[in-house]
Amino acid sequence: MEKLHFTYQNTKTIEKFVHVGVVASGDLEVLLYPADETTVDIVTGSDGFKEVWKNVLNRFFDRYSLKGKFIIHDFGATPGVVNLRLTQAMEALNDEE
Amino acid sequence: MKNSFVELKGRQRAFALVDEGTGRELVGPEYDMISPHLEPQKIVPESDDGIILLKGKLDGKNVVVISIEGKFQGGGIGEVSGAKIVAALEKTLEDNKKGIKEYPIIILDTGGVRLQEANYGLLSISEIQNVVIALKKYVPVIGLVPGRVGSFGGMSITSAILSYLITTKKARIALNGPEVIEQEAGVREFDSSDKDLIWDTLGTRQRVATGIADEVVNDDIKAIKEAISKAIDEKKDAHRTEKADFYLSLLDHIDFDKPLNTEEYRKLYAENKTEEHQVPEAVSSDKPGTKSRGRLWFEKLTGIENAKSEYPTVLHAEKDGKEYIAIVPDENNKFPRVRHGEVGLQEGFVVSKIVNQIIEEDKDKEVKRPIVLVVDVPSQAYGYKEELIGIHISLASAAAAYAKARQAGHPVIDFIPGDAVSGGFLAHGLQSNRIIALADKSITIQAMSKASAARITQRTIAELEEATKHVPAMAYDIFNYEKLGALYKLVHDVSSWDANDDAVNEIQKLIDEAIESTKGKPTDLHFRYETPIAVESGRKATNEMRKMVFEQWNK
Amino acid sequence: MTERNWHSHRDAKNARLSSALSLLDGKFAKTKDVVKVLETLIKPGDKVVLEGDNQKQASFLSAALTKVDPEKVHDLHMIMSSISRPEHLDIFDLGVASKMDFSFAGPQSTRVSQMIADGTMKVGDIHTYLELFGRLFIDLIPNVVLVAADKVDREGNLYTGFNTEETPTIVEAAAFHDGIVIVQANEVVDKLPRIDIPSGWVDVVIPADKPYQLEPLFTRDPQAITELQILMGMMAIRGIYEKHHVQTLNHGVGFNTSAIELLLPTYGEQLGLKGKICRNWELNPTPTLIPAIESGWVDSIHSFGGEVGMEKYIAARPDIFFVGKDGTMRSNRALGQVAGQYACDMFVGSTLQIDQWGNSSTVTHGRLSGFGGAPNMGSNPTGRRHSTPAWQSLKPDDDPLAKGQKLVVQMVQTFGSNKKPVFVDHLDAEEVRKEAKLANVPIMIYSEDTTHIVTEEGIAYLYKTDSMEERKAAIEAIAGVTPVGLRSDPKEVKKLREKGIVALPEDLGVRRQNAKRSLLAAQTMDDIVEWSHGLYNPPAKFRSWS
Repeated sequence: MEKLHFTYQNTKTIEKFVHVGVVASGDLEVLLYPADETTVDIVTGSDGFKEVWKNVLNRFFDRYSLKGKFIIHDFGATPGVVNLRLTQAMEALNDEE
Repeated sequence: MKNSFVELKGRQRAFALVDEGTGRELVGPEYDMISPHLEPQKIVPESDDGIILLKGKLDGKNVVVISIEGKFQGGGIGEVSGAKIVAALEKTLEDNKKGIKEYPIIILDTGGVRLQEANYGLLSISEIQNVVIALKKYVPVIGLVPGRVGSFGGMSITSAILSYLITTKKARIALNGPEVIEQEAGVREFDSSDKDLIWDTLGTRQRVATGIADEVVNDDIKAIKEAISKAIDEKKDAHRTEKADFYLSLLDHIDFDKPLNTEEYRKLYAENKTEEHQVPEAVSSDKPGTKSRGRLWFEKLTGIENAKSEYPTVLHAEKDGKEYIAIVPDENNKFPRVRHGEVGLQEGFVVSKIVNQIIEEDKDKEVKRPIVLVVDVPSQAYGYKEELIGIHISLASAAAAYAKARQAGHPVIDFIPGDAVSGGFLAHGLQSNRIIALADKSITIQAMSKASAARITQRTIAELEEATKHVPAMAYDIFNYEKLGALYKLVHDVSSWDANDDAVNEIQKLIDEAIESTKGKPTDLHFRYETPIAVESGRKATNEMRKMVFEQWNK
Repeated sequence: MTERNWHSHRDAKNARLSSALSLLDGKFAKTKDVVKVLETLIKPGDKVVLEGDNQKQASFLSAALTKVDPEKVHDLHMIMSSISRPEHLDIFDLGVASKMDFSFAGPQSTRVSQMIADGTMKVGDIHTYLELFGRLFIDLIPNVVLVAADKVDREGNLYTGFNTEETPTIVEAAAFHDGIVIVQANEVVDKLPRIDIPSGWVDVVIPADKPYQLEPLFTRDPQAITELQILMGMMAIRGIYEKHHVQTLNHGVGFNTSAIELLLPTYGEQLGLKGKICRNWELNPTPTLIPAIESGWVDSIHSFGGEVGMEKYIAARPDIFFVGKDGTMRSNRALGQVAGQYACDMFVGSTLQIDQWGNSSTVTHGRLSGFGGAPNMGSNPTGRRHSTPAWQSLKPDDDPLAKGQKLVVQMVQTFGSNKKPVFVDHLDAEEVRKEAKLANVPIMIYSEDTTHIVTEEGIAYLYKTDSMEERKAAIEAIAGVTPVGLRSDPKEVKKLREKGIVALPEDLGVRRQNAKRSLLAAQTMDDIVEWSHGLYNPPAKFRSWS
C-alpha cells in the first residue's frame, strides 16, 4: 500500500459531492468534493506507480479541469479503469445540471 | 436479458429495494468513515467501510436497508462497519418501541468476520445478533442473501437468527467455507475444489429444502422486492433458533462415522420427528473427564468432582443461586469434530435447551437467576456433516438463548480461563453483559486459526503475525484483547491451570461483583462501549460511528 | 550396380511391427504393455508427433513416453502443435527427446524458455499451425505418430467426434508415408457412432487407463467481463464491424471478443445490425456466442476443436454447426485454419505487447509461448480475391490494380492487469530471440498485417495511414499513458481524427456511461444455460449456482 498526494491548478468549480466505484479487486472508488483548491489523495494497493498516476491525472485534468478535492481508494485498478472511473465521476457531476 | 439484483453493487442493491426516490443514505461515502485498522496493515480502506445504510419506503412501508458490499474485503464485518449496522438496528428498535413502524432489511453478502479486524468483527457480530433478537419482538427482521459471496462465518449465525431468509439460487450459506474446512480438517473432509459438491451442499436449493433458508426467488429486482414486501406483510418468522428438540432428535439418528450425502440428509430431515429432550445437571462421578481449563474451573466453581453429564460436552449446574454452564472436550465423543472442546451441532442446541429452561423457570420471578459461562472453546467444529446439517443454526440457537436471557434480566457473566475462539465464542460467551478473563498466556482469543486466517486473507503466517503487532484486534492473546475495552475485569494473579482455593474464591467474588454491577443497568451490550478503555481507544471508532448514525437518523 | 530399394521405409515399418507381434492381438495392445510397445516401435532419432492439441491431449501416451528406457529410446525429434502437459517437457529432462518443433506452448512457456536456455531442448522452429501441419507432408514427415481417439471398434476404425481437431491430419501424414500410427482410445466398442479415421490408416490401438485430458479452454465466464471490455466491444462493433460490414470472421480467445459476442443481441440489435454483420464464423464453439445464435444472428459456425459442455447444444443446432449424421460435431483444426486465414474477412485477437510500429507478440521475458493459429488468421493472405464488402472496403482507391485486404484487429487495454504497459517501444520478443537463438524475432502479428487497433482510448485505423510516421502517431493516439502514448501530440490527434485515422468513443457515438454489464446478453454462466434452453452443460469449475 502506498499513499500519494498531488495538487493541480484547475479552474472549473464543481457544485456537489460525487462518488463512483467500489474498492473491489482491480477497481477503485473516487470521492470528489467541492473545494477551492485541487488536491488528489490516493491510497493504492499497488506500490511504485506514482509516475503512472501522475500521467493519468495530467491527461484527465488536461481534458477536464475540475477544481475540487479528490480522494481515491484504489485496489489495483489499471490506468484504463482509473480513467474510466474519473470520467464517470465527471459525468455524474453533469448528470443533474 | 433480465433485471439482475445479484449483478448490482452494494449501494445499487440498497437503492433497488426501495420505492424510487424514497431512499436516503445515512453516513454515506462523503463522510469517508473508513476503518482505522486497515491502513496500518497496508490494506486499502473504503469510504463506507463496506456498509450502505438506507432509509426509505418499500410499497409505502418504512424500511431500513442495510446492504453489505461483498466486493470490498469479501463483505467482512469489522469495527466501523459493524457499528454502523448495530447503530441503525438500535435506532430502528427505538422507533418501533415508540410506535413508529420501521422494517429492517439486511442484505447479507459476507464472509462473516473481517479477518483483518478479527476480534472487533466477533464483538460487532454478537452486538448485531443482540439487537436483531430484541427487534423481532416488534417487527420481522428480513434477511436477503442474493449471492456471489453468500453468507458465511459469524454472519451465517446472524442469518439463522433473522426472522425470514430470502435467497436466490446464486447464493451459498454456511458457517465455515469449504477452504477453511479443508484447511482445518483435511481435503477428505471437504474438497474445496469440488464445485458440484459445494453447490449441492451449501447452495440455496438444498438449504431451503432443509430449513436453513426460507425461499429461493429469481434473481430479478421486482421478484425480490415482492418477496420481501410479502414477508413483511405476513409477519413471517421461521423461528429457526427455537428448534433444538427437532435437531437433537435428528442428531440421535445420524451416525457421524458414516458418510452422509445431500439426498440422504434431505430424506432424514423430511422424516424427522421431534422428541422432547431433557438436559439434567452434571453430577459427580469416579472417572475424570477429558482435561481442560474449562472443565477444571467448572468443577471447582460448582464443587462437582469429575463432572459427568448426559451430553458429555456440555456441563451445567446450579450453585448458590447461579447457573454455571461449560462446554468441554470429550475425547471419545460420538461426534468426531468436537473431541477437543469445539462447539458443534449438539453443543449449541443443548445449551439453548438449558438456557431457555432457565428463562422459562424464572419468567415470573422479579430477580432472575444469574448465568455464568465458563468459556474454554477452541473453535466451532469443522466438518462436512456439520455444514450439511447447518452448524450455524446450532450456534445461533445458543447465542439467541443467552441474548434472550440477558434481555429478560438474567445477568449473563463470562468467565474465561481458556480459549475463546470464533463461532465457539459467538455461541458461548459473546452474548454476556460482563466478561471476566484470566491474564494467562495460554489463552487464545480470536476469530480463526492462524493457518486458516492466512489462507483466507492470502497472507503468510509471518505477515499475519506482523499485522498483529499493529492492530490489537488481530492478536491472539488476552493482553491485546483487553485493549478493545470489552472486558469487565482482567485477573492478573490467577492462572488458567491453577484453580487453587484462593483463586476460586477470588473468581467467585469477582463473579458476584459483576452480577451486582448489572443491577439496574440496561440489559443490552453497551457496557462494552462505555468502559474507560473503550471510550479512550478500544471502541473509539464504534462510538464515533454510533454518534453519526444517531445524528442523521431523523433528518 | 544394385537397384535402389524404393520401399525402405515400408520395410523398416514392417520390421518394427513384426518385432512387436508378441505384444499385439491384431492391432490391439494391452493397456499395461504401453511402455513396451513404445520401446519396440520407436527408434532413436525418430521424428515423433505426439498429439497435444489445444483442448485434447494424448495424455496416456505422453505419460508412457516418460517411462521408456532412454537407453532404448532417445534423441527423439518431437513435433507438437501444443506443448501443454508437464511430461511433454519431462521427456527432454529424461533424455528421451532432444529436439522440438512446435506451435504453441502457453501453459508451459516458462519452462520451454528455461530448457532452451540451458540446452536441454533444441528448437527446430516455432510455427503457425498451418506451417506445422504443412511440414508434416514436406520435410517433417513423421516416423511415428501418437494420437488419441474417443472410441475404437474391433477393426481399429476410430471415432474422434467433437474433438477431432488435428488427429486426421497427423494420422494422414504417417499413414501414407510408412510412418507408424499408434492410437490411445478411451473406449473399445462394437459399433462406432461414425468413422472419423478408417482402420486402414491405423497400426496399433491401446486402450487407455483413463480418458484423454480435455480442457474447456475457450469458455469465458461472463461474470468476469469488465466495463472496459464492454466499452471496447461497443467501439469495435460501431467502428469496425458495422463500418466495414463484416460478415465472415474469426474471434480469438479472450474476454474482449466474448464481450462482443454478448453485445450482439443487445447493443448490436439496437443498432439494427442483425443480418448485416457476423453471420459466418470460424470459431471454437464458445458458449458466449449462444445468445447471438439463439437470437438469429448466426448462419454458420465451423470449429477448430470442440468445447466441453457444448456437445448437446451443438447436436441440437445442426443448421449452424458442422454435425455428422450421428449428431456429434466434427471439428478439424487444419481445415479450420485454412478457413480462418483464407475464407474470413476479419480476425479479432488480443496480445500482451504492441510495439511503436504496431508489431505484436505474446512472447514476453522468460515466456516463450508460441502463437498457435493467430499468425495464420492474423495475416493478410495476399492471394485472396474476395468480392465481399469488408475485403473491398480496405482497398486503396488511388491504385487501379489495388486489391482488398483482410481486417486484422488487435484489441488491448493500454495496460495489462499486472499494470504493465501493453504499448512498448520494443517488444520483449526482440531480446527473447537473442536468448533463445531463434532465426526470427517471435512476432505474433506483424504491423503490416494489422489493420486496426482498439483500446479503451479509441480505434487506430492503421490501414489508412500512408507512412510509418503516421502509423506511429495513430498508435500513440490510442496508447493512453504508456511510454508510447505519452508521446502523442493533441494537435496531431485532432488531425488524425479529422482524417478518420483515429476515432475516439465520442467520434463513434459510443457513450462511456452506457458501457455497463447490464448491456451483456448474459451476465453469468447460468444465463447462458438459460439461453441454451438447458442444452449447454458448463463444466463444474464454472458453477456458481445451485
